[in-house]
Amino acid sequence: MARMKFLCDADRCIECNACATACKNENEVPWGLNRRRVVTINDGKPGERSVSMACMHCTDAPCQAVCPVECIYTTADGVVLHSKDQCIGCGYCFYACPFGAPQYPQVSNFGSRGKMDKCTFCAGGPEVHNSPEEYAKYGANRLAEGKLPLCAEMCSTKSLLAGEGEIVADIYKERVVTRGYGSGAWGWITAYGADTGV
Amino acid sequence: MLIRRAERAARRGTLVGALGAESGGMDRRAFLRRSGLTAGALAAIGTLPVSGVRNAEAGPPPKPGIPVETRKSICTHCSVGCTVTAEVQNGVWLGQEPSWDSPINRGSHCSKGASVRELVRGERRLKYPTKLVDGKWVRISWDQAIGEIGDKLMAIRDKSGPDSVYWLGSAKFSNEAAYLFRKFAAFWGTNNADHQARICHSTTVAGVSNTWGYGAMTNSYNDIRNAKTLVIMGGNPAEAHPVSLQHLLEGKELNRANFIVIDPRMTRTAAHATDYVRIRPGTDIPVLWGMLWHIFQNGWEDKEFIRQRVYGIDEIRQEVAKWPPDEVERVSGIPGEQLKRIAEKFAKEKPATLIWAMGQTQHTVGTANVRASCIALLVTGNVGGFGNGANIFRGHDNVQGATDVGLDGSTLPFYYGLDEGAWRHWCRVWDVDYDWVQSRFASKQLMETAGVTSTRWFDATLMAKDQIDQPDNLRAMMVFGHAGSTITRMPEAKRGIEALDLLVVVDTVPTTWAVLSDRKNDVYLLPSGTQFESSGTRSASNRSLQWYDQIVKPIFEAKEDYEVIYLLAGKFGFAEQLFKHIKVENGVPSSEDLLREINRGSWSTGYTGQSPERLKLHRDHQKDFDLVTLRASDGPCKGEYYGLPWPCWGTPELKHPGTPTLYNTSLHVKDGGGTFRARFGVERNGVTLLAEGSYSAGSEIRDGYPEFTMAVLKKLGWDKDLTPQELAVIAKVGGNNTDAVAWSTDLSGGIQRVAIEHGCVPCGNGKARAVAWNLPDPVPVHREPIYSPRVDLVGKYPTLPDAKQFRVPNIGFTVQKSAVDRGVAKQFPLILSTGRFVDHEGGGEETRSNRWLAELRQDMYIEISPADALERGIKDGAWVWVTGAEYASKARMKALVTERVGKGVAWMPYHFAGWFQGVDQRRKYPQGADPFVLGESANTVTTYGYDPVTNMQEPKVTLCQITAA
Amino acid sequence: MAIRYARTPLAMCTLIRALIFLAIALIAVPVNAQQPQTQPQTPSAAQAPLVDPDASAVKEQNLLRESPRIEGTIVIPEPRESVLIQPAGRAWRFFHEVLLHWIGAVVIVGAIALLAIAYLSIGRIRISAGRSGRKVRRFNAFERFSHWLTAASFVVLALTGLNMTFGKLLLLPVLGPDTFSRVSEIAKYVHNFVSFPFVVGLVLIVALWIKDNIPRKVDIVWLKEGGGFVGSKHPQAGRFNAGEKLVFWFALGGGAAVAVSGYLLLFPFYVTNIAGMQLAQIVHSLIAVFFVAVILGHIYIGTLGMEGAFEAMGTGSVDLNWAEEHHRIWLDEEIAKGRGPTPAPEASTSPAE
Repeated sequence: MARMKFLCDADRCIECNACATACKNENEVPWGLNRRRVVTINDGKPGERSVSMACMHCTDAPCQAVCPVECIYTTADGVVLHSKDQCIGCGYCFYACPFGAPQYPQVSNFGSRGKMDKCTFCAGGPEVHNSPEEYAKYGANRLAEGKLPLCAEMCSTKSLLAGEGEIVADIYKERVVTRGYGSGAWGWITAYGADTGV
Repeated sequence: MLIRRAERAARRGTLVGALGAESGGMDRRAFLRRSGLTAGALAAIGTLPVSGVRNAEAGPPPKPGIPVETRKSICTHCSVGCTVTAEVQNGVWLGQEPSWDSPINRGSHCSKGASVRELVRGERRLKYPTKLVDGKWVRISWDQAIGEIGDKLMAIRDKSGPDSVYWLGSAKFSNEAAYLFRKFAAFWGTNNADHQARICHSTTVAGVSNTWGYGAMTNSYNDIRNAKTLVIMGGNPAEAHPVSLQHLLEGKELNRANFIVIDPRMTRTAAHATDYVRIRPGTDIPVLWGMLWHIFQNGWEDKEFIRQRVYGIDEIRQEVAKWPPDEVERVSGIPGEQLKRIAEKFAKEKPATLIWAMGQTQHTVGTANVRASCIALLVTGNVGGFGNGANIFRGHDNVQGATDVGLDGSTLPFYYGLDEGAWRHWCRVWDVDYDWVQSRFASKQLMETAGVTSTRWFDATLMAKDQIDQPDNLRAMMVFGHAGSTITRMPEAKRGIEALDLLVVVDTVPTTWAVLSDRKNDVYLLPSGTQFESSGTRSASNRSLQWYDQIVKPIFEAKEDYEVIYLLAGKFGFAEQLFKHIKVENGVPSSEDLLREINRGSWSTGYTGQSPERLKLHRDHQKDFDLVTLRASDGPCKGEYYGLPWPCWGTPELKHPGTPTLYNTSLHVKDGGGTFRARFGVERNGVTLLAEGSYSAGSEIRDGYPEFTMAVLKKLGWDKDLTPQELAVIAKVGGNNTDAVAWSTDLSGGIQRVAIEHGCVPCGNGKARAVAWNLPDPVPVHREPIYSPRVDLVGKYPTLPDAKQFRVPNIGFTVQKSAVDRGVAKQFPLILSTGRFVDHEGGGEETRSNRWLAELRQDMYIEISPADALERGIKDGAWVWVTGAEYASKARMKALVTERVGKGVAWMPYHFAGWFQGVDQRRKYPQGADPFVLGESANTVTTYGYDPVTNMQEPKVTLCQITAA
Repeated sequence: MAIRYARTPLAMCTLIRALIFLAIALIAVPVNAQQPQTQPQTPSAAQAPLVDPDASAVKEQNLLRESPRIEGTIVIPEPRESVLIQPAGRAWRFFHEVLLHWIGAVVIVGAIALLAIAYLSIGRIRISAGRSGRKVRRFNAFERFSHWLTAASFVVLALTGLNMTFGKLLLLPVLGPDTFSRVSEIAKYVHNFVSFPFVVGLVLIVALWIKDNIPRKVDIVWLKEGGGFVGSKHPQAGRFNAGEKLVFWFALGGGAAVAVSGYLLLFPFYVTNIAGMQLAQIVHSLIAVFFVAVILGHIYIGTLGMEGAFEAMGTGSVDLNWAEEHHRIWLDEEIAKGRGPTPAPEASTSPAE
C-alpha cells in the first residue's frame, strides 16, 4: 500500500503561495480558513527559507489521539481525514498538532469554533467519493481520481512534493546530491518519525 | 467507530470503486517523475494505462452524466506565459487542472495563476455599463453608453481635434486586440495611444534595440537552464515571475551555477543566491562600469567577439576608465573588490546571462542602464548563444505582444516608426487609402509626431495649451485595461481627471480611475471580459506566441475587447475600413482574421510565419516540445520551436521554425539562427558597421552584410530566385522604385524567402553598437536620480538638461536642481523605492477583487529597516504616515520593520489602491464592485522624473519621510 | 479507529520530557511573530558584505535546539499561523491522553474509594446528643442561592468537562459515534455557557463568606484532632471549621484557576500563543479533576456523611445540638447577636420561621 506524504523542499520554495491558492480554488475554502500556508524563517536575511505547511498526515497522528469524539481517522494510504458531522469544534486537535493544520471557522459566541477544517490531501472525507456532499464539506477528492493534491501539482518551482512517501523521499535525495545542499525535509521527523537521510 | 474509507466505498459501490482507482494512478507517477531532476530517473516505476473513462471531477461540484470539456488558455498575470487548463461543464468553469504538457510551466502556477478561475466567477466584477450621474453610479445599456460616449468624443474632435482624445490601451489585450486598437487609433486620427510597456520596459525596448536591433529577451526562460552564471540585477523574479524560478533554480542545481543577485533589497530571489550584494537604488551604471573596469583591467573581455561583432568599444573603455573601484564604492556603496569577484565569474564562467526587469528600466537613466547591461554582455561575448544573453523579464502577460504590435504613440505596429514610408506600408497592409488616413489626422506633421506618453497624460491635460505640441489639451481619456494607480504623481492625476471632459474606463473591474477623483459626472465604466472569455494569441517574454481558446462566454454584460472596438468604430463610421478583411460575426470580430492580417504586415519583426493554424497545432501538441531547447522532436510540429518565437521569417507556408535564441550564429537561419541587425547603416566614421568574419551557420555570405533589399538581391544575383508572383507584389509595393523595396516592406515575403534560402538573415548581419549616436547619451553615463539623497554627487552627475519630449516639456533638470537647492534630501532623508510582491499584479485592480488572493496580504505597507524604525519610534505593524517630496503628498499604511532593506532605504509595493492620502474611498466604488482589499497607492507619493528617450517614469528611486501615525 | 498512543507506563524519560516541555511553556512568553528573530544588525551600504545566502540557510534541527518551536513570517493576518512546527504538541498529547487519564482516574476513583471506605468504617456521623428540635439560622436565602448556583453549575461543568477526557472511553461505546458526538457537542456549549453562572456564584460565595473563612488558631487544633472524624471528640470550630475552610480556599483558588484558564480556552489565542493555550488546558484539566475529588468529599460530608449537615444548605437552619457539637464558637456568637435558636417545639404555637 502506498503511504502518502508531503515534502516541501525549502531550498526551492519561493513563497509564491500557489499552493495556498490552488487549495482555495480546488476546495473552495472560505475566507479565513487557511488549509495551507507558507511560513518564512529569517525573512529578509541571509539564510531565509520558506516552507509550505499544511497537515502532514502524520504517522500516529496526535490530532487523532486527542480528539474527544474520535472523529479523525487514518486511511489505508496514510491520509488523515475527519468527519465534520462528528466534530464538535473543541480545538484540541490544534493544540496537539505540531504543524498548526486544523482550522476553525469563527461562529458567533465568544471565540467559539465551528467544525474543524484541514488539508485532506485532496482526498475528501467519509462521504461518497466525489459526491456533492463530500465536496461541500471537505472539498475535492483528487485521490479517488488517481490524481495528487493540487497544491503540489501546481507548485511553481516543484518545491512541494506530494505522493508516495518513498518516491517523494527519493526525489528529494536525488536533488540534494545533485546540487550539493539541502536544508532538510522539514517536519518529517516530527510527522513520520524518520528523516529522508540527507 | 469510523470505518475505513475503502470499506465504505466498497459497501456503497461507487463508480470509482468499481473502476479500481486506488492509489498509484498514472497521473500521480507522471507528476512525481516530472518533479525529479533527470527525466528518466524514476522511469523504473513503469507506466499504467490511462483509464479511458474520466469520472466527474471534483469541481464545485460537477454534475454526473454531463460531459466536461478541457480548454486551454494562458494565465493573465505575467509574461512567463503559463498554460491554464480549464474544465468546463455547461458553459461553467468548474476547476483548474495542472497543464503538464506545457514546456513553459509543466503544470506549475504561482498564487495568481492558481486562482484565475475566480476572475470568471466574478464576485466583484463590473457587471454592466455604468455611468456617473451627479456622483451616483447608474446602470445604463450598451447602446446608450456607446451612443453618448461617441457623441461626446465627436464633439471634442470637432472643437479641439482628434489629438484631444487619449486612447490608453492594455498589455492585457491579445495581440489581435492590441493591433486592432492601434489601427483604430490611427483611423481616429491620433498618435496619442499607449499601454503599460511605457511604465515597464519602454526603456528596454529603446535601449536594447538601439544596441543590436531588436529590443526583446534574447533567449528564453527555458534556455536559462543552460547558464553557468546568472546575474540578476534589477529584478525579483521569485515574486514577479515565480514559475521562471523553476527553470532558474533547476538550472542552477544541475549546473552548479553562480546565482548572483544585485539589489537594494535582500529579496526572495536573493535568498536563493550564491552571491548577494546590496546596491544604492539608481546606481546601476557605476556598478556595470565597475565590473567592466575589472574585466578590461585583467583582459577578461572576449576580444574575438568584440572584433567581429561589436562597434565602438573603445569609447566604452574611455568611460569605464572613469569608474575605478573607489569611485564605484563612493557612488553605489559596493566595495570594488566584491565587484571584481562578480566580474570574473561573469566573464570567465560562461555562458553567463544578465537578467533584469524594473530595477533597471524604471529610471530617468533607464535606456542608458539597459544599454550598459547589453554592453557588458557584448564585452564578455555573452550574447547569441545558449545559456547567455539579455534575459529581459517582461511584465504583463502580453506586454511583449502589445509592444510588438505597436500599441505605442511613437510607432506603428512592429516598430516601423511614424514616417511616411511606415504609414504607406501599413496602408497597403490595411488596404486603405493613404490620403484618407492622413485626412483623419489634424495634420501630416502630427501624423508623423510621436504622441503624448501615458506617463504624461495629465500634464497634457493640465498645462497651458502653448506648452504642448498639439492643437489643444487632452480632454478625454479612454482607458482600456490599464490601472489607475501605476503612474507616478497621482495627486496630479487626480487633478487631471477632474479637468477632463470625459473619462471612459473599459475593464473587468471599476479600477482606481473610477474613484480617485472628486468628479461627479461624465465618467463611464464599460465591462470588458477577461482573456478567459475571449480568444487570440499572446506573446510571452521569450517571444513565443501561444493561441488560447475562449473558456466561457463573457459573463454578465461584459463584452470582448474586439466587440467594444467594433462598436466604437461603428459609431465613428469607419468600421467598414477597419474590418475590411476581418470577418465580424454577431458583432465579434474574428481573432483568426486579425492574426492573419498581422501575418501579412509584420515583416520587420517576423510575426509573419505564425498563422493561427500553426499556433493551434502547437497548442495541441505541447508535450512534443523539449524542456530546454523548446524544439519538437516528434509529432506534427517536429523541428519547430514552441510558439514559433519571433522572428518567424517569411510566410506561414515557408514553415520557418521560429527563433528561440536571438543572434545565435551557431545555427542556420532555417534552424532559428540569427545575427545582429544591420540597422544603423553600413559604416560610420570610416569604420564598418557590418560584422567581420562572423555569420550564421551555412550562410553563403561569409561576412557581414546589410539589410536585404531588392537592390541587394540584384547585386548578388539572387533576384532571379524570386517567383513571378513575388515580383509582381514587389513591383506593386515599390512603384517607381522597386530597388528600395526591403525585406520589411515586401508584402510577398519573397525577399525574406530568398535570403533565407541562401542561409542569410533578412535583417542583415551587422555589428552591435556600443555607442548609440542618436541617443541623448550615446555612451551610457551615470546620472543621479531626480530626487537623490547624495547632493554631493548631483553636481558631478546631473540629469540631462530640460527638453521637450513627446509633445510636453521634460523639466527634470530644473526639478533636480531645485530639490538640491531647497535641501529636500534633509526633509525627506529616506530613499523610497517601489516594486512587486507575488500575490498581486500591477495596480492590483483585478487581484484585489479576487478573494483567494486578497486574503493573503490585506494591508498596504512600507518596508523600513530596524535602524530607521528605531530612530522614528516605529514598531513593526504600526501605522505610519509616509510623506513624499512633491505636492505635500502623504499616505497612511502599516510599517513592516525588516532587515530586507538597508538603512536609509524604504520600499513599498505598488499593488494597492482605494485609499487616498489617508481617506478610505470604498463608498465611491459602484455597489458590489469594490475590491475586497483597499489601501494607499505607492504612486501617491512618487515624483517627477522621466527618461529622455521614452518618458519612462522613475518610481524606483525617490525620497520620502516616514513618521509614526 | 483510534490508534492508541503506545503507553509506556510513566517511563521516567517520557515524563521528564513532558515536564520539561511544560516548564518551557511556562516561561515562554507569547511571541509576536512579526518581530525579527535576531538582534538587528544593519551595516551601512558602504560596508555591505558580499554574502552567500545559500550557505547560511536555516535548518530545522538547529532552530529547534535554540527554541521550543519554529516561528516565522506569514502574510495572512492570523498570528498563530506563524508557528511552523511546535513539537510540544506531541508532549501535550502525551499529557492529555496518558497523564491526565491516569491522574484523573486515580484521583476521582480514589476519592470515591476513600469515601466508601470512610462510610463503611466510620459510618454516618450522628448528632451525639440527638436532635433537640430547636433550630438555628445558619444560611439565609441569598447565601443558599449563591451556594446552589455554584454547586449546580459545578456539577454540570464537571460532567460535561469529564466527558471531554473520559467520554470517548466510557460513553462512546455505549451511545455510538453519531449520538455521542451530538451529546458531546451540546455538552461543549453547555460547559461554555454554564461557566458564567459558576463564576458568578463563586464570586458571590467568596464575597459572602471570605471573612468567615480566615484561618484561626482554633483551626489548627481542629486539624490536630482530626476534625473529630475518628474518635468521639468534637473539636471546636467557628462558623466554618478547618475542613470547610480548606474546601472554601480550594474552591476559590482552584475555581479562579479553572475560570481564568477556562476563559483563555474560551477565547483562544486572544492573549496567548500555542504554548499558553496548552498550558491553560493543562492547568484547567488538572485542577478540575482534583476539584471534582474535593467536591465529591464535600458532597459526601454534606449529605451522606453527617447527620444534620444537609439542612444547613437545604432549609437554611440547623439543629441546635448539631450546632453545639460542631460549631460551638459560631453558635455562641449567634446567640450573642440575638440570632439564637428557636424555642422548643412544644413551647411555641407559632411556626419557627
